[in-house]
Amino acid sequence: MNAIATGAANAIQIRNLVKRFGTFTAVKDVDLSVPAGSFLVLVGPSGCGKSTLLRMLAGLESPSEGEIAFVGQTVSSGAGGVIADAGRRNAGLVFQSYALWPHMTVAGNIAWPLKVAKWPREKRAKRVAEVLALLGIDVLAERYPAEISGGQQQRVAIARTIAPEPSILLFDEPLSNLDAKLRIEMRSELMRIHRATGATSVYVTHDQVEAMTMATHVAVLNNGRVEQFGRPIDLLRNPETSFVATFLGTPPANLLPVRRVGENLVFGETVLAPSSLAAGRDAVQLLYRAEDVGVGVVPGVPTLVARFAEAAPIAGRTMVTATIDDLRVTGMADGYFSAIPGEPVALSFIRTPDAVFATTGERIHQ
Amino acid sequence: MTSTSLFVPSGSRLLRSGFLLPVLLVAIVAILVVAPLARIVLSTLTPEGMAAWKAVLASPLSANLWWRPLFNTMILGFSVASGCLIIGGFLAWLVVLTDVPGRRLIGMMAMLPYMIPSFAAALAWGTLFRNSRLGGSAGFFETSGLAIPDWLAWGLIPTAIVLIAHYYSLAYTIIAAALSSVGADLVEAGQMAGAKRPRIFFGIILPVVTPALIAATSLTFAGAVANFAAPALLGLPVRMQTLSTRLFGMIETGQNERGFVIALLLIAVSALFLFLSDRLVSGRKAFITVTGKGGRTKRFPLGAWRWPLFAVAAAIGLLTTIVPVLVLAASSLAPQSGALFSNWTLHFWIGEGGGEMAQGQAGIFRNPVLLDAIWSTIRLGLVVAFTTMLLGLALAYTIVQRRGSLLATLLSQLAFLPLLVPSIAFAAAYIALFGAPIGPFPSLYGTFVLLVIAASAHNLPFAVQSGRSVLGQISADIEESARLTGAGLIRRLFAIIFPLAIRGLFAGAILVFVKMVRDLSLVVLLFTATSPVLSMVAYRYAAEGFMQFANAITLVILVVCLAASFLAHSLQNRVQKWKES
Ligand SMILES: Nc1ncnc2c1ncn2[C@@H]1O[C@H](COP(=O)(O)OP(=O)(O)O)[C@@H](O)[C@H]1O
Ligand SMILES: [Mg+2]
Repeated sequence: MNAIATGAANAIQIRNLVKRFGTFTAVKDVDLSVPAGSFLVLVGPSGCGKSTLLRMLAGLESPSEGEIAFVGQTVSSGAGGVIADAGRRNAGLVFQSYALWPHMTVAGNIAWPLKVAKWPREKRAKRVAEVLALLGIDVLAERYPAEISGGQQQRVAIARTIAPEPSILLFDEPLSNLDAKLRIEMRSELMRIHRATGATSVYVTHDQVEAMTMATHVAVLNNGRVEQFGRPIDLLRNPETSFVATFLGTPPANLLPVRRVGENLVFGETVLAPSSLAAGRDAVQLLYRAEDVGVGVVPGVPTLVARFAEAAPIAGRTMVTATIDDLRVTGMADGYFSAIPGEPVALSFIRTPDAVFATTGERIHQ
Repeated sequence: MTSTSLFVPSGSRLLRSGFLLPVLLVAIVAILVVAPLARIVLSTLTPEGMAAWKAVLASPLSANLWWRPLFNTMILGFSVASGCLIIGGFLAWLVVLTDVPGRRLIGMMAMLPYMIPSFAAALAWGTLFRNSRLGGSAGFFETSGLAIPDWLAWGLIPTAIVLIAHYYSLAYTIIAAALSSVGADLVEAGQMAGAKRPRIFFGIILPVVTPALIAATSLTFAGAVANFAAPALLGLPVRMQTLSTRLFGMIETGQNERGFVIALLLIAVSALFLFLSDRLVSGRKAFITVTGKGGRTKRFPLGAWRWPLFAVAAAIGLLTTIVPVLVLAASSLAPQSGALFSNWTLHFWIGEGGGEMAQGQAGIFRNPVLLDAIWSTIRLGLVVAFTTMLLGLALAYTIVQRRGSLLATLLSQLAFLPLLVPSIAFAAAYIALFGAPIGPFPSLYGTFVLLVIAASAHNLPFAVQSGRSVLGQISADIEESARLTGAGLIRRLFAIIFPLAIRGLFAGAILVFVKMVRDLSLVVLLFTATSPVLSMVAYRYAAEGFMQFANAITLVILVVCLAASFLAHSLQNRVQKWKES
């Protein structure tokens, strides 16, 4: 809800955008703006309204309220509906399903939008060859979509979208149908293409890793609302809500509900922190990052006993997840660690909490 | 895709030995399909046969025997195919791609006409439009003072209209299925490219569904060419002949060789078009939509046209489903066939014979011949449904198990052969084979057994198809996971395989039953007085001018068909619902 930059020159400016389907509100009062050349990632759990927001940017869906402007030009608004058609806003959309036209060859798929835009034949052929080369799929030019693999279809979909040289590129979970290895490969590929085209990109994903690695700007969505908007590193360092704090970051950070007892904040029977952190509230949530939770007893710091759930080695250390009743807590052990599920393990909170949140989710600044 | 292991080593050594069943099946298919077709060809190669070829193709008679019927048949084929494409395509577009109100209702009404036998529509047409030119009582319109010209009462035009009213439903089903496979994303990708609605329609939607359009055209064409009931009821009284009515006339008057020659020519015409369209489709790239999240389709707003187009669609639906049924019902109650709505009586249903009415004949439910026919029809339907599904399952099992082998290819090709043969020509082939005693076996002509054999053979393509889909529901994994629990074959058969297969089998069997109950063109040649079936009795009554009886019987057929279809539909839904969970 806090715009980073403002001004007419913003490539994309979204003001008070609302989208309702009947009585259901899919997108609630969104305010965002990014300068030209940014890579904006919309991230959030499935069903939070990412695609709906993207489709409004594309001009496939009209807003119920609010306004969208590209480079100062209003393209959609609650009052005027879709003012500039999908085809007229100089934007390209890569569909999650790729949406390749099955009756056209790869080259045909890429050329058709250019044909619609009345590009002359030579220029068209030249551009098709150019994007085919850019995506490394020259050899597939004469194949039909049904005759190429999923990863190749993905490349064709991207090539088709960038061929008309749109100034805004929209991606709807483009990598979600690829296997893990291909996904990482395409991630760098997409960033390369972003640099090569210089187009302002809006990228929708539910994968926070993609958001953190690719974005210049991230908007975390939840239930149709923007929870927080900013640079990826700022969101990671200074989460404004407990949702953002637990959604971003690998391994996920821990949120422990605590009560105030006298001068202390206690979890169960264990004293974790001084009550001054709660700013006068009776119950709050403490954020501990996984690297701030040690496995085993460390003298002089609060320790909890949890039941071992699972362990995964990461970069020479081990990420250990244990449960306390229904709460999952993740900590880091040095070297390799293993235990029998259900066995008690001690978790030590070796640093003070990274942030404090009210039970309703908002951050309590110290 | 899914391989099946219905039978396992320990269980059935007989089948597992992998020899007896395939050999048996090849023999059965050979007798059912190959022998009659071979026989009919051979019959026309005898001296009498050669004379018949000459008479049909190159003699002063050939204009009447071949060229004019061919001409009429082609006109019917083309006009029905284009009419079906237009109406079926229009409705499919409306239902799948627009925001027309009452889409489900329109869609449902568009599927119904195919459930109603084509002679029902033909009879209803006659009841309304018949004029008094040929003597006999006039239809409803003429009786009400509206002069009906001959071209509207008899001949090609009414036949074509009735056939379109029947077959458009088939075109609708095929085209609607294809249109709903065009995902919204494909259309929206076109919008993003800046294409306008006509450009998207002609550049994306139309090319993607072209194979379906071709399939719809060729199937409705073949249906119209092969249809017997409509041209017989609406064309024969004015001597309009098609190949199928000609064929019927020849066999009925004992000119079997000429009949066989015409049957072969009819097969050639129908198969040629099916073959050509198949070429056309397979010559193209198969436009399988590549991915796509569960069929969201793009609906275009119709704006001010919503209600007018709804009215057009609803009118088409009403005129081809409810109206014919109401007309038949009213006619079966009206003593004077022209005055549909006066002096209603139940005489034609339950009246006692001997009175003034209907030349002293009793109502259909008091007529022993008719009660007999009801029983025969249901018996025929049940027996054929059973034999067809049994054969289909065995064939499908063998074909799936031996996928890729010569045997499997042979079996599936042979089993699909009847698809190319119009049923009346198929019946002619059966007469050629079984019309005379074969060695020690007596002639089967006119027996119930012959009807059952011929019908099972003609249903083979459907049988194999539904057998495969039933087997497809039992994937090898399911069966194997049951085996891993240690359950024995019998246990697995009853706990896993039957519950999974039975509903599919049952649904398929009901469809076969419906096909048999409403069929006329297959039974019309094989029928004799000893094994009357309802459709045939209705046809006889209509030919003799007892329209009320014909209409009443047709209603009985309709009720049986609709009840069975409804049963099949709800079963199918249950099968699918359970598949999703
Ligand atoms: N056309 C529609 N009609 C009604 N509800 C919709 C429509 N499109 C999306 N929604 C609802 O809006 C919410 C957000 O959907 P979407 O934007 O697709 O979520 P996601 O973040 O997973 O992309 C979902 O609850 C979805 O059911
Ligand atoms: Mg989505």
